[in-house]
Amino acid sequence: MTTLSEPKLRFCTGNQMIAEGAVRAGCRFFAGYPITPASGIYKSMIDLLQRRGDVAISAPDEISALAYCVGASMRGFKSMTATSGPGWALMIETIQYALMTETPVVIAFVQRLGPSTGGATQGAQGDILLSEFCTSGGYTIPILCPSTPAECFDLTHKAFAWAEMLRTPVIVLSDKEVGMTSECVDFARLSNQAPPTRKHKSDFASSKMYDFAERVEVPEYLSVGGMGKVTATGSAHNKSGELKKNDTETLEVLHHLEEKIRSRRSELAVTTFDGQAGAETLVVSFGITARTMRETVRNVRRLGKKVSALSIQSLFPVPDEKIKEAMVGISRIVIAEENFSGQYRSVLAPLLYGKEVVGVNKIGSMITPAEIEEQIV
Amino acid sequence: MESAATTNHMEIVYERPVTLTDTPMHYCPGCGHGVVHRVLMEVINEMGIQDRTVGVAPVGCSVFAYNYMNVDMQEAAHGRASAVATGIKRVLPEKYVYSYQGDGDLAAIGTGETIHTVNRGENILMIFINNAIYGMTGGQMAPTSILGQVTSTTPYGRKSDLNGFPLKITDLVTQLPGAYYVTRQSVHTAAAVRKLKKAIEASFKYQPLKKGTCFIEVVSNCPSGWKMTPIEANAWMEKNMFPLYPIGDLKVPKQN
Repeated sequence: MTTLSEPKLRFCTGNQMIAEGAVRAGCRFFAGYPITPASGIYKSMIDLLQRRGDVAISAPDEISALAYCVGASMRGFKSMTATSGPGWALMIETIQYALMTETPVVIAFVQRLGPSTGGATQGAQGDILLSEFCTSGGYTIPILCPSTPAECFDLTHKAFAWAEMLRTPVIVLSDKEVGMTSECVDFARLSNQAPPTRKHKSDFASSKMYDFAERVEVPEYLSVGGMGKVTATGSAHNKSGELKKNDTETLEVLHHLEEKIRSRRSELAVTTFDGQAGAETLVVSFGITARTMRETVRNVRRLGKKVSALSIQSLFPVPDEKIKEAMVGISRIVIAEENFSGQYRSVLAPLLYGKEVVGVNKIGSMITPAEIEEQIV
Repeated sequence: MESAATTNHMEIVYERPVTLTDTPMHYCPGCGHGVVHRVLMEVINEMGIQDRTVGVAPVGCSVFAYNYMNVDMQEAAHGRASAVATGIKRVLPEKYVYSYQGDGDLAAIGTGETIHTVNRGENILMIFINNAIYGMTGGQMAPTSILGQVTSTTPYGRKSDLNGFPLKITDLVTQLPGAYYVTRQSVHTAAAVRKLKKAIEASFKYQPLKKGTCFIEVVSNCPSGWKMTPIEANAWMEKNMFPLYPIGDLKVPKQN
């Protein structure tokens, strides 16, 4: 006999569920600056963390907000900030600093219409390329992309787990529709994973700031204000964290920053595949548009058409193996996303060689099921 | 007949200046923005400088200022209004240039721009609307929120140990050698409005002298963000904001 736990229903926005997921993951530090459509996370984190005696503070701008988080994380506090396009533009300096100093931090990035101030209350999925390709040198920043409030919770928890495991900044890339729409969430059915933990160095005297033998290894942490001397710099550095230029060890550290993430791309892949035997068309989507895609797929199957669907929750590193698996037997791939140029389609292009690739793109409002259905032959 | 004739001969004593467009404002009932817009535009009209004036609006409630102010208007990125105004003034030194910014824009994200614009003594007018809250984004704590003030991000009231002290940025810029005229005004009474108008007029008259930055803080309200009626908001402002942000001149040009 199966016993189902009593449902615990609450009416929540995606923004609130990002805050809930962060707290469940052990986040104890938040800094924010008002910006639509991400302000709900700022407000929720103030309410949740201050009640627990943890730190949630207001910054004078997004430059400071992310920098506060990096400082707190250097001490070992799991930290998060939240923003949207214009604020993200200001955070690009410090996310690179976090990446370079191997400091975990989570950024909830709730997309709105751009460029510049754009449309504060208009949804969009137009910051896929801006969020990923924002580093000098082109390093991989892991990006998770929720499509429902429950996914906001799960993927924010995962973002903290990844940030801690990989010692790197991780982005939860939401959007205005997911972030600001209130929906019914069953708290009894949310995953109850333990918060991720950080591995600290035990040997303070002899250890270097960034100890690794192979490039793919993630060094254990040496926290500021602790037992050993800590040296961190945003400049190119050797394993001791000392500013160096082109010596072998420094270049090794730079390669390590990318290799520790790229080498784990299979274990980091999060996708949901809804395959149908005999289908020759595969629809691929993510975020709010993945929900339109799932509805479209239900509709067209009712009409007797065969179609497979792949929802991608981990946009970066690109879940290439999962995508290749989903493409078996497929000749036509439809990629739906709410931006005008097909940003993620351009990222996937090398994987799709030899297939007929169609984009469903739009700006200014959500893609409708009919617009995706038109492309399912 | 007689009544029609009377109507025809009625004298117009008050009307919308041509510098203000015929557009219903989006501001909430009781908000000070509309009054400041009007007074600013009256001065520009009366001085006959509409064709020589360029304004720079912020990010915040007054993003739509271009809809109402019938002069060249640009909305800058958040906090950068005085920096964009600097660029405009440097290449168009004979134009009248002003920035119009709120407390979040001018005293938080744009603090650097504010300090350096005044320190360079840019020959522009900076109008600073201080209503102690982020109105546009839903009533979060602003740099100028007063101690104890409840906002959406200070649910227990602003505390100095957690959130720091209200930033009196007008007092700060007064110290800078580039500041030529610094004053703090309000728009909650007819008398206050008249004083503000005089301050704006003086600032525009100073601009061609190229003596430095004119800076006008307008202590204003936010009935929606403060969750008060307009009358309650003005009373709260007088009681709580005026002691911290006293109305009056902070720096006046030396008489020659």
